[in-house]
Amino acid sequence: MKTVLVVDDSLAMARLLEKIINDSGEFTCVGIARDGVEAIKMNHSEKPDIICMDMNMPGMDGLTALRSLVALNKEVKVVMVTSLGGVGDKFAEALKLGAKNVISKPFEADDILRILRKL
Amino acid sequence: MAVKFFGQFLVEKGIVSREDLLAALGLQDKKNLKFGEMALEMGYVTPADIDRAHIAQFSQDAKLGDILLAMGLLNDGQLQEIVTRQKETHLYIGEALVQVGSLTAQQLQQHLQEYNLDQAPYLPARVELPEGVANGKTWEMVSDLTYKMITRVLGLQFKAEKCRIVSTLDSNYMMAALDLSGDVEARYVLSVSAGVQKMVARAILREKSVEHEPADILEDTVMEFINVVCGNVAAKASQLGEVININPPVTIRPEAEGLPVPAGHIALCFPIHVGEGEKMELLLVIPG
Repeated sequence: MKTVLVVDDSLAMARLLEKIINDSGEFTCVGIARDGVEAIKMNHSEKPDIICMDMNMPGMDGLTALRSLVALNKEVKVVMVTSLGGVGDKFAEALKLGAKNVISKPFEADDILRILRKL
Repeated sequence: MAVKFFGQFLVEKGIVSREDLLAALGLQDKKNLKFGEMALEMGYVTPADIDRAHIAQFSQDAKLGDILLAMGLLNDGQLQEIVTRQKETHLYIGEALVQVGSLTAQQLQQHLQEYNLDQAPYLPARVELPEGVANGKTWEMVSDLTYKMITRVLGLQFKAEKCRIVSTLDSNYMMAALDLSGDVEARYVLSVSAGVQKMVARAILREKSVEHEPADILEDTVMEFINVVCGNVAAKASQLGEVININPPVTIRPEAEGLPVPAGHIALCFPIHVGEGEKMELLLVIPG
């Protein structure tokens, strides 16, 4: 079963994503990081197959963390899950930095799972 | 379910690949000239003029065209001609995807129709503001999108009361606040009673009951809701050619006497009635 690391400063959103991932029976959530720095540490310790990461976070934001994660490992599979997905510049920047996809909030569980299955 | 731009819609749906979209975005970068590049191509300014204007831009928060105008390097008519030429020659993302071979012209039309249907719930509706409020169109858009998200994300039926200017933010059970910056500045505040907070929590957590949830999770759901609303506000603004940045949300627990509006600011209050005995208000604290 593929493993997923969730990165979101919102406890509520992280819990919702964890539930969607674990209830799918196809993926398992191996941890929740609350900002970019924690994401980099947990990516090293948990070695997830996929990272679902927010953009707008205090401390190290999602795009800065994405840049670091890709610099450390070009093959890393990061999907941004963000309320800023519809901002064209942010979306394009995320893809250019190496994100595999960008999912806008609010989302349906099926939107998340469909994209995770393709990775 | 969210405000999206066309390229994002196509990638999310798996209609075009990430790589094709990146190629189309690259083509747009090449073909769509920035203001200074277009002014140069039309022969209205020299590279030295652009350099001088860029240096001036370090010390003033203004667009390149306005600086060139203020420096006497362009006149009003030339500025309008440049903007018009930019619009006329703009390569849209759909057309760029056709040019890179990702879509046929026929597929583009079909997917544009699907996109317009997907985004129809976010078509703007008129919200009446008090007269004389600066950047009124933006605040109309912000309040309109808030109403739409209350319906679509929270699934609540409500009655919106007419917007008024207030000098104090009334006390309530909690407030979630988020600062907007960029082309406009504001503090976006959603003030909710305990009952409304639970309505928000049920919707965000997608749970039938939230009675046993800890207080920090309940507060967090209201912050996440305004984060989603304001992210979609930023998306809508970008479609309209405006830049709005958002900061992470914070929680405010107001004193019983409420919160005074800071000097040099006004607050727009949009009361939202969701049920007997409950209180919900959108408040926009803006310079004024």
